[in-house]
Amino acid sequence: MLQLAQRNLFQSKARLLISVGGVGLALMLMLALDAIFSGSEQQLTAYIDNAGADVFVAQSGVYNLHMSASWLPASVVTQVQAVAGVQAVSPIMYLTEMIEVRGERNAAYIIGLPPNATLGKPWRIATGVALPPKGGTVIDQGLAKKYGLNLGDTVKVLGLELKIVGLSEGTSSITNSIAFIAMSDFAQARSVLASTTSGAGMTGMSGSGSGGAAKLVSFVLVQVVPGQSPAAVASRIEAQVSGVTAQSKTAFAAGESKLVRDMAGDVLAIMNTIGFAVGLAVLALTVYIATFARRAEYGALKALGAGNGYLYGVVLTQALISVAMGLGLGLGFTLLLAFLLPLFSSNMALVVSGQSLLTTTLTALVIAILAAILPVIQIAGLDPATVIRRRVQ
Amino acid sequence: MSAIVDTRIDGRTEATVAAPATLQVSNVSKRYGAGETEVIAVNNVSLTVAPGEVVLIMGPSGSGKTTLLLMLGALLKPTTGTITLNGEVISALKENRLPNIRLRHFGFVFQDFNLLAALTAQENVAIVATLAGMKNGAARQKASTLLGELGLGQRLDFLPEKLSGGEKQRVALARALVNDPMLIFADEPTANLDSKTGHETMRLLQHIAKEQGRSVVIVSHDQRIKDIADRVLWLEDGQFKDMVEMPVDPVCAMPVERGKAIEAQWNGKPYYFCAQGCRDEFMTEPARFAAK
Repeated sequence: MLQLAQRNLFQSKARLLISVGGVGLALMLMLALDAIFSGSEQQLTAYIDNAGADVFVAQSGVYNLHMSASWLPASVVTQVQAVAGVQAVSPIMYLTEMIEVRGERNAAYIIGLPPNATLGKPWRIATGVALPPKGGTVIDQGLAKKYGLNLGDTVKVLGLELKIVGLSEGTSSITNSIAFIAMSDFAQARSVLASTTSGAGMTGMSGSGSGGAAKLVSFVLVQVVPGQSPAAVASRIEAQVSGVTAQSKTAFAAGESKLVRDMAGDVLAIMNTIGFAVGLAVLALTVYIATFARRAEYGALKALGAGNGYLYGVVLTQALISVAMGLGLGLGFTLLLAFLLPLFSSNMALVVSGQSLLTTTLTALVIAILAAILPVIQIAGLDPATVIRRRVQ
Repeated sequence: MSAIVDTRIDGRTEATVAAPATLQVSNVSKRYGAGETEVIAVNNVSLTVAPGEVVLIMGPSGSGKTTLLLMLGALLKPTTGTITLNGEVISALKENRLPNIRLRHFGFVFQDFNLLAALTAQENVAIVATLAGMKNGAARQKASTLLGELGLGQRLDFLPEKLSGGEKQRVALARALVNDPMLIFADEPTANLDSKTGHETMRLLQHIAKEQGRSVVIVSHDQRIKDIADRVLWLEDGQFKDMVEMPVDPVCAMPVERGKAIEAQWNGKPYYFCAQGCRDEFMTEPARFAAK
């Protein structure tokens, strides 16, 4: 069965090319689109993943970084520090705002960092320093490249002209980049005074240039004692500190990813449906034509004694081989795209996830089965007598 | 009424077949449609095919030869009557049991060979053996042996498109034989072959019957096959007719029914033709054709 299916398939190379190419492109559409969104998810959670924190403490009811605002009294920092299982804390200020370069505005997460912060700072630096001093900023190197900016050039962040002191890597996404500024600049720009509280185990809190009455931060980043469960520590923080929502890094990142998925869900569904329909149409048509072209042979096999089950198996195997090759082609193209795209656009990353591969494989399987239905019906209705009856006597 | 007419080529009617029957056809009819549109393709035909016998069924176009062959080969069920294979009434079997009968007891040779274009000569033969449950290696070995016996030992790995018509027909013969069937049904086996290869094919069919004891039923227009047939049956209007009394078309040598044939007189003698074309050709050189 396998031999006949394989030989039938490979005998007509043009038909095979159309079949595999069509299915491959359709599956690539599905894989690539999912990879783009998976890449975006990774990019959007990059800060959460790499900030070094095990737990994120936000204003009560705030579960996301994206499209949200969180303000906490700075006194929360010391309260969180006092919770059992907490090793170190570091506050950050955060807003979704614009970086203005030569009159052009670019969406960005603006992170205000205290001096000497060990949590929440850029995790990979291409050039310059990681922690911006007052009057300085660290921006994504992709943004810098886009405008031909270098260390020492200035950009406008939160309305302040800040000098570029460092270029970070892995801090851009399809929608925005991340800019790091001094917490004191952040506070000045937004008339919010940064916390100056300091204490044992608090990273980056000492030596803050700003002192003042109003003490607000956006998030408190927490490092837990080794061996402690971040989820358990987060629960303890919520129980002991009022007015906060504490989530483990995993939960916080999952919430962020869900937000992206929710926003992109409809687009993904539509494109996946289109990909499915295109793949199905191409494969169904080519398998049907291939079966039709060989109906005399199938009729002869029936006359010789082959059962319908055997012939159905041949057709289904042909469809399965086609989609398997199409899937390989689609995956190959997607991986190639994932490799090539960063070379041309630093804002986009394609990530082929195991889940996406599994979903696409199952989709391909469904395509193969559905594509085989019409040819199977064709074979079921094929009268073996037609092999002899072509001449009416 | 049953109309068995077992006629030897020399015209003597054979009374009975002595050997035990392998295929028994009793009062078989096939009707299509109903009422005014009813067509009786085969009308109350009976026939016995004995082991090792070569039976040739001839007849004009539309006589019911193909319908009869389809019924004999378990590819079509008769409207009435029974077809029995070694005591089992195969005409009464359910459709889903017929493929197995065809696979294990019958071999088919088609006019157009109907080889699988994507498979080699050896694979074309072996696939039918594997369908019957033989292991792939054994099937290939058997196919190889059969093809070797038929003179195709050097063509095992050739695709059908690389084979001549005669070679294709020999592959088809090997395919028909691979499951050791009792009966071989051949539908116009020489129609697409030149004279020499057609003759070789006839001899092979005769060899299969005489040396291997298999029955061979051939439907053909080819008069040459008479040479190897034990019996020639003339089917016309769905019934077997006695060839003894039938005049022969002097141009194409086909027996024709006196009442329905086209008639022409020459030299005071009537001649009968199967078609106007034969008559016209006869009239161009009547002396030559009349002398045949």
